[in-house]
Amino acid sequence: MSILEYNGGSVLAMKGKNCVVIGSDTRYGLQAQTIATDFPKTFKMTDQCYVGLVGLATDVQTIRERLQFRLKLYSLKEEREMEPVVVGNVISSILYERRFGPYFVEPVVAGLQGPEKKPYICAMDLIGAPVFADDFVVSGTSAQALYGLAETLYKPDMDEEDLFETVSQCLLAAVNRDAVSGWGASVTIITPDRIITRTLKGRHD
Amino acid sequence: TTRTHNRGQMESRTAIFSAPTAADAAGPRTRHGFSPYVNNGGTVLGICGSDFAIVAGDTRLSEGYSISSRTYTKVIQLTDTTVLATAGMQADFHTLHKVLLTRVRQYEDDHGHQPSTPALAQLLSVILYSRRFFPYYAFNVLGGVDDDGKGCVFSYDAVGSFERVQYSASGTGHELVQPLMDQQIGWKDQRATALKPVLSVEATVDLLKDTFASASERDIYTGDYLDICVVQAGKKISIERCELKFD
Repeated sequence: MSILEYNGGSVLAMKGKNCVVIGSDTRYGLQAQTIATDFPKTFKMTDQCYVGLVGLATDVQTIRERLQFRLKLYSLKEEREMEPVVVGNVISSILYERRFGPYFVEPVVAGLQGPEKKPYICAMDLIGAPVFADDFVVSGTSAQALYGLAETLYKPDMDEEDLFETVSQCLLAAVNRDAVSGWGASVTIITPDRIITRTLKGRHD
Repeated sequence: TTRTHNRGQMESRTAIFSAPTAADAAGPRTRHGFSPYVNNGGTVLGICGSDFAIVAGDTRLSEGYSISSRTYTKVIQLTDTTVLATAGMQADFHTLHKVLLTRVRQYEDDHGHQPSTPALAQLLSVILYSRRFFPYYAFNVLGGVDDDGKGCVFSYDAVGSFERVQYSASGTGHELVQPLMDQQIGWKDQRATALKPVLSVEATVDLLKDTFASASERDIYTGDYLDICVVQAGKKISIERCELKFD
């Protein structure tokens, strides 16, 4: 049993037309036992950027706290919000600092980059190696299932509601086949004007 | 160092710059285990409808990161109404197929007619369980039309546990494919189930091709060609081969 499977959890992010959608399951468990069903793994960084952190729960919380610290310090010094590309680079840097004793998280960044609000997504392994995709990125214990679903259901330039529906269907179908992910999902749509988060009901098992 | 003793002349000068192997890390007194199993990769999928069943499998045979064959069929016709597709270890599933074909011939000699699909499903289970303590490394999907003319698909584990289902995927791509089938055919997590369409053969074949295209993208062991075998009540079994990605 890998340490990355101890708590379980999955995250998916997809690009659309002038929007991105990021979703995760909401289970918090210790191997077979489910402790909480309201533990989403996506966190707001700025109005234009969300981060999905999946893996060992203690590291999910620690990395989230360290990131929030870095973001606040950045906005004090720079007097502006951190862009998604920079958020990704900062996470990558934080993870690589621990190259030989890593944090057990495999993060996903989703946001709208720059003044043009261009959709941006990125995934990383546990030591910070980034992967940039034009379509979608996945992470977590049901990554293989998410790949299979996203590869088939993704279309370029979907609008907000279509993209939300696609991410939701992919996420639910994938986590429902995974023993350590699930108990519902939390899906967030990020557009230039607003952020909408919806909670989905899935199989409670 | 001890590492250079077994190397040739040319290599010994550079041996000290090569990375330590697993054997070095484990120490000088490790035993070399022999594993009788190897995974030759590939994905198989079976879907049934009201009066048909479709069984498909890719044709790539791999060993590690190499491709042994791009055109090896994993799908075999057992009778006029039953088809079997198997993923796993080629040595084992090839033998399993031979054993099954022999048993089908024996059944025909004894009974004067071909075995039905549910009968063959049971037979396969029994054959697999007979090797409970040295299993066939074979992950089977059996498909066909039963005696009532309805499509059926049976899904197996390596030791013969089986269940009749509407769809099933096995092999290296099964994690990519099975949840997709849940979503597209099972319509799980969709509430308007009254609107769920009845599947036709053509729509199912299209879905199957899309599914294998996606599986080939993300699974390195799936690709090359795809064999699609359609069993339909009252019709001859048809097999079609189409291309997948070769990378």
